[in-house]
Amino acid sequence: MCVDDELLNTYLDDELQEPWRTQVQEHLGYCNACRQRLEQLRSLHQKLVDARLGDSEIKARQERVFAYFEKTRFPSTNKKMHIFRKKIQVKLVPALITSAAAFVVVFIGAFVLFGTNPQQGQEILPGVASPIDSAHIRQVTEVQKPSLDMFSLEQIVQHLDAMGYAVKLEVKAVTPLE
Amino acid sequence: MEIQSNDERAFKQVYEEVFPILMRVVYHVTNNQDLAEEICQEAFIRFFDKGMEFATLDDAKYWLIRVSKNLAINQVKRKAREQGMVEKLKKMPANHSNTSDGSQVLMEKETRKLVQEAIDQLPEKFRLVIVMKEYTDMDYKQIAQVLHISESNVKVRVYRARKMLESILSQE
Repeated sequence: MCVDDELLNTYLDDELQEPWRTQVQEHLGYCNACRQRLEQLRSLHQKLVDARLGDSEIKARQERVFAYFEKTRFPSTNKKMHIFRKKIQVKLVPALITSAAAFVVVFIGAFVLFGTNPQQGQEILPGVASPIDSAHIRQVTEVQKPSLDMFSLEQIVQHLDAMGYAVKLEVKAVTPLE
Repeated sequence: MEIQSNDERAFKQVYEEVFPILMRVVYHVTNNQDLAEEICQEAFIRFFDKGMEFATLDDAKYWLIRVSKNLAINQVKRKAREQGMVEKLKKMPANHSNTSDGSQVLMEKETRKLVQEAIDQLPEKFRLVIVMKEYTDMDYKQIAQVLHISESNVKVRVYRARKMLESILSQE
């Protein structure tokens, strides 16, 4: 008796349990018709597998959808930028210190090696006498903008009186006697 | 390993593993890549936003396949209502006119198209099972778990779906 189609499909999918699996295998060993039928089923299975959506077609869509999630659900993905900034900060500071130190060393080194020639200095720099005495010194005061703080209360009252205002002064929390 | 769906690391791991499977299942059910992409995105949005816990990665995968399968079936039904089944059938003979082209690539494309059209003609319950069987690495037991049906039911549906496909493809 030949194996039915349902059993052959299960065998093809490797889902047939023992002892039926061994029995079907033995039967296929000598039954041409069942072997052919199994081949037909295998060919149909292969046709379906060959028609599957390709990996390259999926990849582009997978990346596009993931970009959506990175934008809307994972704001922390901008972390990369912070790390980049940190690295620059960490590397820049010692680099600047090193270059500044190198500059100072070269500068001092130049003086130590070549020294200074006073004659040459005099040729380059014109001699300037600096006669410092009281005649040459003039006190410079800061020009202040006029403000009320520069006048006394009396001066303010007098000024207002001259302008024709009647000014009445009262001290806070002091009630004048009747 | 427990999976928290709104945890960034866990989400990425599930996404990497499940997206291709989901895309294949939905595409072969809907026969539309753009629609399949939209459905996959929607399924993963729900997965993330619900903040669920799954005992294993496989459980997360089954949940995602179940949700996207439902979305895909709804879309297919809506599309069928909009277009009308008569129109859909009318289109089919016109598609076979290019078979005379000798190019191997075109032949492969044509075969692929014919196979997909044959899948489209299967009733929903057979289509889902055969798509899961042929386009994912799931066995009968796992498919049964996703679809909430018995394992023997999966076995019968796979057999019947193949029989129908054989019959459709032999006519063409």
